[in-house]
Amino acid sequence: MQKKTMTVVVASLILTAAACSSSKASGPATSGGGCAAKIGFMGPFTGDAASIGQEQLNWGKLGMVDYNKANGTAFSLVETDTKLDPAEATTASQKLISDATIVAVLGPAGSQEVEAIAPAMTTANLLYVSPSATRTSLTAGKIPTFARVVPNDDAQGPTIATFVSKTVGAKKVLIVDDQTSYSTGLADSATATFKTLNVTVVRESIAQKSTDFSSLVSKVTDDTGAVFLPWQLAANAQQLGTQLKEQGKKAVVVGSDGVYSPKDFSLEGAYVASFAPDVRGVAAAAPVVAAYQKAVDDKFGTFGPPVYVAAQLIAAGVKATCKGGKAGTRADIVKAVKAAKLDKTILGGPMALDAKGDVVGAKFYLSKIVGGKYTPVAG
Amino acid sequence: MGQFIQLTVNGLTLGSLYALIALGYSLVYGVLKLLNFAHGEVYMIGSFIGYGVLQVVGGAAHPSLPAAVLIPLLMIVAALGAGLVGVAVERFAYRPLRNSARIAPLVSALGTSFFLQATMLLVVGARIVRYQSEKLVDVGSGIHIGLLNVSVMRLLVIGVSAVVMVGLNIFMRRSKLGKAMRATSYDPEAAQMMGMDVNRVVMVAFFLGSALAGVAGVMSGLVYNRVFHTMGFVAGLKGFTASVVGGIGSIQGAMAGGLIIGFAESFSQGYVSTTFYDVVVFLVLIGFLLVRPRGLFGVAELKKV
Repeated sequence: MQKKTMTVVVASLILTAAACSSSKASGPATSGGGCAAKIGFMGPFTGDAASIGQEQLNWGKLGMVDYNKANGTAFSLVETDTKLDPAEATTASQKLISDATIVAVLGPAGSQEVEAIAPAMTTANLLYVSPSATRTSLTAGKIPTFARVVPNDDAQGPTIATFVSKTVGAKKVLIVDDQTSYSTGLADSATATFKTLNVTVVRESIAQKSTDFSSLVSKVTDDTGAVFLPWQLAANAQQLGTQLKEQGKKAVVVGSDGVYSPKDFSLEGAYVASFAPDVRGVAAAAPVVAAYQKAVDDKFGTFGPPVYVAAQLIAAGVKATCKGGKAGTRADIVKAVKAAKLDKTILGGPMALDAKGDVVGAKFYLSKIVGGKYTPVAG
Repeated sequence: MGQFIQLTVNGLTLGSLYALIALGYSLVYGVLKLLNFAHGEVYMIGSFIGYGVLQVVGGAAHPSLPAAVLIPLLMIVAALGAGLVGVAVERFAYRPLRNSARIAPLVSALGTSFFLQATMLLVVGARIVRYQSEKLVDVGSGIHIGLLNVSVMRLLVIGVSAVVMVGLNIFMRRSKLGKAMRATSYDPEAAQMMGMDVNRVVMVAFFLGSALAGVAGVMSGLVYNRVFHTMGFVAGLKGFTASVVGGIGSIQGAMAGGLIIGFAESFSQGYVSTTFYDVVVFLVLIGFLLVRPRGLFGVAELKKV
């Protein structure tokens, strides 16, 4: 089934790519014609987060196909599955590092995976660009070959905490982390802001693999105004929200960007953050969105489109190092990708990185679920 | 007080599910002295069968049948499907090894568990799928009196489990097949010499145990909503723990063990830690193994010397 879908995706993409408005790379004027390179692609293509991983896979492939069509390059993606598991990610990264033809890596998805593979990737001088890892410490300077195309939690935690305090009006908040690096980091960041806003914070922690949250829900007191879930599995957040309702609790559920998934999280009245806008509403993205909808489906969230942009940013950097049809060294590519700039992206603006590998001018968005649909409320 | 009541309801729900799973372990262990570690996977397959049937009739949002008809239908189809899977597992993974050393069927059980998990990964993929039972029955419906909140789905789990367990008890005590199972459990050779078809008895034990796991799988899908190909591992482990605590091989023990593990999990989540609740659950197991190794209702094995 998966193979069939991917065949349809690739075939459709090749046909529609020419019609799509694809990002043109700015940078050194090198001829892209004939430039070929292999780029690793790490993501949770199977496992509990496969819904995110499959979306990322489809958008990543589309991004590379479109880039090749628009720039005359022949870059290809080499997929390795991480299952959103740091151990699996480490194994996958070793496979990519040991392949000398891999010049850069797209992914992995989770902050905990980025941390796990950091020593090996740094030693190998292999660039990796995550389309969804938001933990702030990742770009604190300890991982020189890392970059990301999404904002960090320094932006997300305060954005959500301020919104919950001032707009939702909660005086007491329950924050439940799911024991992952991403989740605890974001929970800490939000907690710090809540305290400056004089909001009482209660912290709980539950494993990502848990299926029943009813005992946790029974701890939610009547004066709890909101439950903040910095989680990575939207289905878990949906279940916790359902159990809140089942036990007659009135607290508003607020999910982080990891919960953003119209397919799996549709809790009426809940709020959810996202590190990217819904590209369906971005005019510049219309041809790409139409191509994706035709080839795959319309049930995508905000995890996919940044992968498209990350693929194109990496491609732009690799292309800038190309000489005689060959990509530059891994060290050259680290510098080139960090210096690359996309003038126009499907996310609605340009894409450029600062010296640390963070996006210049990044921000988070918030939506409210009304009638099963995500309605933007702040950004 | 409100939290205590809610935790009791949660423990009862969880315990009912664990009891149904534990019954499968006990039934099989009773007749074959085999730990069927593929049982958790049968529970997972039952849950997926229920999900599949739900999709066939239009999904939880737009079902072509009323919930009162649909929910029993899900359980019946899942019970039959899981029962047949259980029979197939016995026929191909255990029967050829019945006279081998005890380690052989145990290894086969572990291999079968991985095989079933991988097969489901191939067939249904790795995504978590949701029953979306909140669209089938309003989660706000049920009993809401003061501090007591029990949804219809939880009432259903508790009620169906109780009926199934009582029914199984009666079946084991009064029916010819039940008596044959008990006789085989006591002494398979003597049972065979008395004209009983041991293969048939073993097959029935696997079918019944697996069917109960199938029912548990559907009820888990309805209450906890999440269904995925690795869900059987932890549930199977807890069911096995329940059967050991209750006394493996004992029907009443499986029921009691399930409830003990369910309450231990619920209260430890509520009053100890949502992070370390599994530690408490397995401490209960260790405690029983140290103090009463044969479990609550287990009988010490007599050996002729």
